[in-house]
Amino acid sequence: MLVLGPLLAGPCFSDAGAPRKSLLEQLPQSWIDDQGRDINLAEFRGRRIYFTMAYATCRRVCPMTMAHLQELQSETEASGQSAEFVIIGYDPAVDDPQAWQQYRRSRGLLRENWHFLTGTPATAEQLAHRLGFPFWKYDKHVMHEYRIVVVDEQGKLAAEYGTGTKQLLHAPPERLSSAGAQVRQSEK
Amino acid sequence: MLSLNSHARSLCCIAVLAMMACAPFRTAHAAADAQQVAQLQSQLEQSLKAIDQLTARVRELESRMDAVQPGAAPGTAPATAGSPASAAPPATGVAPATPASGTADERLASLEGDVAEITAANAARHDDMGLPLHGFADVGAGTRSPNNPDLHGADVGSLDFYLTPELGERTRSLFELNFKMSTTGALVTALERIQLGYQLADATTLWLGRFHTPYGYYNTAFHHGQQISTSLRRPKLVEFEASGGVLPAHTVGLWLAGAKRMEMGRLTYDLYAGNAQRIVAGVIDTNNVGSPHGDAIYGGNVSFLPQALDGFRVGLSAFTTKVEDDLVARNLTRVNNYGVYVVYDTDRWENMAEYYRFDNDDLSGSTGSHNSEMGYVQIAYRAGAWIPYARYENADFDQTDNYFAAQRSGGSYFRTALGLRYDLDWTSALKLEIAETHLTDRATDTYEEALMQYAIRF
Repeated sequence: MLVLGPLLAGPCFSDAGAPRKSLLEQLPQSWIDDQGRDINLAEFRGRRIYFTMAYATCRRVCPMTMAHLQELQSETEASGQSAEFVIIGYDPAVDDPQAWQQYRRSRGLLRENWHFLTGTPATAEQLAHRLGFPFWKYDKHVMHEYRIVVVDEQGKLAAEYGTGTKQLLHAPPERLSSAGAQVRQSEK
Repeated sequence: MLSLNSHARSLCCIAVLAMMACAPFRTAHAAADAQQVAQLQSQLEQSLKAIDQLTARVRELESRMDAVQPGAAPGTAPATAGSPASAAPPATGVAPATPASGTADERLASLEGDVAEITAANAARHDDMGLPLHGFADVGAGTRSPNNPDLHGADVGSLDFYLTPELGERTRSLFELNFKMSTTGALVTALERIQLGYQLADATTLWLGRFHTPYGYYNTAFHHGQQISTSLRRPKLVEFEASGGVLPAHTVGLWLAGAKRMEMGRLTYDLYAGNAQRIVAGVIDTNNVGSPHGDAIYGGNVSFLPQALDGFRVGLSAFTTKVEDDLVARNLTRVNNYGVYVVYDTDRWENMAEYYRFDNDDLSGSTGSHNSEMGYVQIAYRAGAWIPYARYENADFDQTDNYFAAQRSGGSYFRTALGLRYDLDWTSALKLEIAETHLTDRATDTYEEALMQYAIRF
């Protein structure tokens, strides 16, 4: 492995001398929000970001995810902090800006720090892979699971929520400064 | 501090090994060589073991640091259960650890993040390996078999495999292979759907192959996967052909499916043409390899989803086809079907109603024109993992119409059903249903059912 490692090491390492890119920087950057505005994820650098993926006609997983995000929003506010909440559409062909606009309005998710973003199928898939959102499409349905990824102010992974409940899978305490840390730790 | 430096240096080495081990994983994927992939998987496992060792090592470090610095800040690289952590090398190699404890702390915290990100990335790459195979399965039990009221007890539902290989930027494909039991208990293997398509625009695709005929709402909303549908079974009148449906649920031919965003809402449309179906042994046959006389089915479906009312959809559909049966007289019937449907599907409600009317003409005999109608209403309420539902369906078929007379399930009926779905988790559901069915013409009868189903997706 010592021999093969340097030979085969490629994308996992940055160029010699170059600083390693943060998780945030490794994500596709260009998106369109529900108002039709161009959004670059670099705009959120220096802020805590709660990422999730969703599709507008999801009636089981996504409503629970949105409810949990609202709880995290409240906890963040209660702790005197601020954060951005970024929801990326799984299926850009269906979940266009107008669809997200309707989604936000009908559910009262109108806060300015909530961003419902549409990309291309390729960028949605890239982001899903990079942040660990496995999904597959069954015609008009998107099969996916409950997941929220938290990126800290340095653009690094801070916490993950997942599985069937609001279970915190990973959260180094020094990075989880949000007041929402009372969720139970994973047994893993 | 010397001890800390030594630990940090060791952790750096281990971390570099871990990252080296993960790097070939991507390269192997690009090579797509099975043997190499296996080898690299082994290396990945080794790297994960190394990460575990890192975690243990950092815990040990923490305890030692706590012992040396009881008043140290809580942010000094703690590792939680399940959160890998290690000392931090720069991307290009192992840097010497500095004697300052603050620097070591920062490096530990930084590398902890790096390793966690690598772990997350590797986890995300698992489904990159080859073509993912997904599908559905369901089994059940009840006082009667859901598709054959003459049978009782446990029943095997179906096993459904679903594949959508990505072939190109605009090339689309969809394959669905289904194993199920016939109403008599025989294993039926069916290539339910095989579609090759080309995406003409973002929301418009032209398909060629065998597809679910886009009439009404249910047939193209829920398909074969029982886990995604709220109810235990489809409404009988829109069942699949072999399960007692009276409509041609599948068509072999050409299908243009698209959507158009407008200021007022979203318009969806379907246009299709394919082989006309026939009736064989009382069941509609799709004519997978061609229609005997070159007859065709033509149809369309249009629906509107207003921007002002989330979850609401109203639609119209119609098709016309020539259907020949295998009775002695070999009747040929022009089947004209018109449908209307309304759906209100929100985070709380899943309500839907469909109505169909047949205006059929006897083309081979002298029985003339026949009108029949059928429809259903279903109401469901989403209360977290629990979803109670109720459904009423009614079918009034003209028994002098050869199209219905030749079908085994062509008798008129009405049915009421109450059900309850419980989501065990995101991938599995338990469903209960009690139903009462009244047969109203061929044989006047009433029967009750209490059914249970366990449905999963994978």
